[in-house]
Amino acid sequence: MIANQIALIRRELWEHRSIFVTPIAIGLILSLGVLVTEGMLAAHTAEVNIGIAAASNVGDESHRSTIINGLLFAPSVIIFIGMSILVVFYSLDSLYAERKDKSILFWRSLPVTDAETVISKALTGAFVIPLVSFAAIVATQLISMILTSIWIMIEGGNAIHLIWAPASLASLWAATLAGMLSMSLWLAPFLGWFLFVSAFAKRMPLLLAALPIIMLPMLENWIFGSRVFFDAIFLRTVEPILEAKEAAAATFELSENLHISSFISDPWQAINLGSFFAKPDLWAGLIVSAVFITAAVYVRRYRDES
Amino acid sequence: MTNLVTARGVSKQFGRVRAVDDISFDIGKGRIMGLIGPNGAGKTTLLKALLGLTDYDGELSVLGLDPFKQRKELMRNICFIADVAVLPRWITVSQLLDFVESVHPNFSRDKAETLLKKTKVDKRRNSRIRELSKGMVTQLHLSIIAAIDAKLLVLDEPTLGLDIIFRKEFYANLLSDYFDEERTILVTTHQVEEIENILTDIMFINEGRIILNSTMDSLADSYVELMTSGERAEKARKMGPIAEREIFGKSVMLFERPDRDRLGDLGELHTPSVADLFVAKIKGAAA
Repeated sequence: MIANQIALIRRELWEHRSIFVTPIAIGLILSLGVLVTEGMLAAHTAEVNIGIAAASNVGDESHRSTIINGLLFAPSVIIFIGMSILVVFYSLDSLYAERKDKSILFWRSLPVTDAETVISKALTGAFVIPLVSFAAIVATQLISMILTSIWIMIEGGNAIHLIWAPASLASLWAATLAGMLSMSLWLAPFLGWFLFVSAFAKRMPLLLAALPIIMLPMLENWIFGSRVFFDAIFLRTVEPILEAKEAAAATFELSENLHISSFISDPWQAINLGSFFAKPDLWAGLIVSAVFITAAVYVRRYRDES
Repeated sequence: MTNLVTARGVSKQFGRVRAVDDISFDIGKGRIMGLIGPNGAGKTTLLKALLGLTDYDGELSVLGLDPFKQRKELMRNICFIADVAVLPRWITVSQLLDFVESVHPNFSRDKAETLLKKTKVDKRRNSRIRELSKGMVTQLHLSIIAAIDAKLLVLDEPTLGLDIIFRKEFYANLLSDYFDEERTILVTTHQVEEIENILTDIMFINEGRIILNSTMDSLADSYVELMTSGERAEKARKMGPIAEREIFGKSVMLFERPDRDRLGDLGELHTPSVADLFVAKIKGAAA
């Protein structure tokens, strides 16, 4: 069972090279951005030198820590957005492409159950893609810090004192990883829905997947005046964004009030996994996801393609 | 003789169409059964039922298993190549071997490597399937299948779209690399003449029903072709041939359970080819 899952997930990574290409490409562009910015700043040596000197002297460790962590957090948000789009396209393609290219009967000629196959695709979408993207985030952060260290050293500053010591890397990474994986669980009903549509759609899975998500809340509101679907669909996606906006607002207010930006000064401390797992909405979403994934297994098993 | 496949009253309905209609048959161990039928006769549906790819009514046992409910167990001991079960185009040759090795307990990587060394695919380990010719893909698929220690091999139009050289080679390799007394083959094809000399059993299917099920040995006893002309043809016609056609001004008649002595007086007797027998049976069933 586990050996088969490993083989199946490795198969997904072979087929969908975009799982690696997307986060690495975004990470490289961001690193390039850091390099170009620092190169351009190097043209203003005098001002920069004053800036670095000021940064070295002004502010205590916690001020610097907040600024550095905030800057390091930025690339993870961009890679996360890219990854989310990747997961949508991956999950819509995962059970559709094998039918379109007619390889499904070959896969089904091997001693692997339909449930094992669908589960491997769900695990890839929910966990493997986020783990790969997390690795890309860590690499991007390290590359940016190394580039910046070189620049600071050229300008005569102390990189360890200025960026490496204040950066709470362990806390930031633990929080990023926990945040990404809990977002996967939180958004699992969408992943389940996409997998089901991917197994079910005869053509245009993207359209078929998007229409009900947009139309159902509108129709419900229009006919019944209620907003059950609206709450279920929109609040689930919008709420985390609002929370992120609060966190961002806290970061930008840091010059006024450093203490409210607790997330940024020690990210791992600010993450409350206990309260996340206590949310009934989380478990309701996981049940919905399980229903869609089961339906995808049944469609793959029972549908006769001939 | 133990039966690997036992079918009793198997039916499969699509809407109002009975693709497979109350079919019963057995396939014994070590046999090579040819399943012949026109397009839409229900061959593929029957094979899918045998392979656990579709549900059905009636009783079906393959290697003692219920194919639909115990598909995973079944697939450890069954292999199939179908023209519709194409290899994924994005995978490389070595990735494909790695994957099959990791999920199939009865797959021998060594045997697959030995078989591949004899083919053109050997030098293309890092090529994707889409970069290989159709002939090479079939060689690769057969090498993988032959390296699986399976009890039953199901081939559905395995040589469709291949040229004659690859087709001949395919069946030659099938016999030399795959077949022994422990293994059983079920094959469907349109090119009957290319496989009739390797078959031990034959089954004709039309409109979802079996219209002939026989060993190849008894086929020669049960059917005879008479070539004759003129008055003798008239006499022969009265003996009730199941089919008649004209070749070079002569009549060729096909008889079922013939009276060989009487027919021998009326002209030349031959064993009919499977293709001619098939055409006669299908026309007979339609009449």
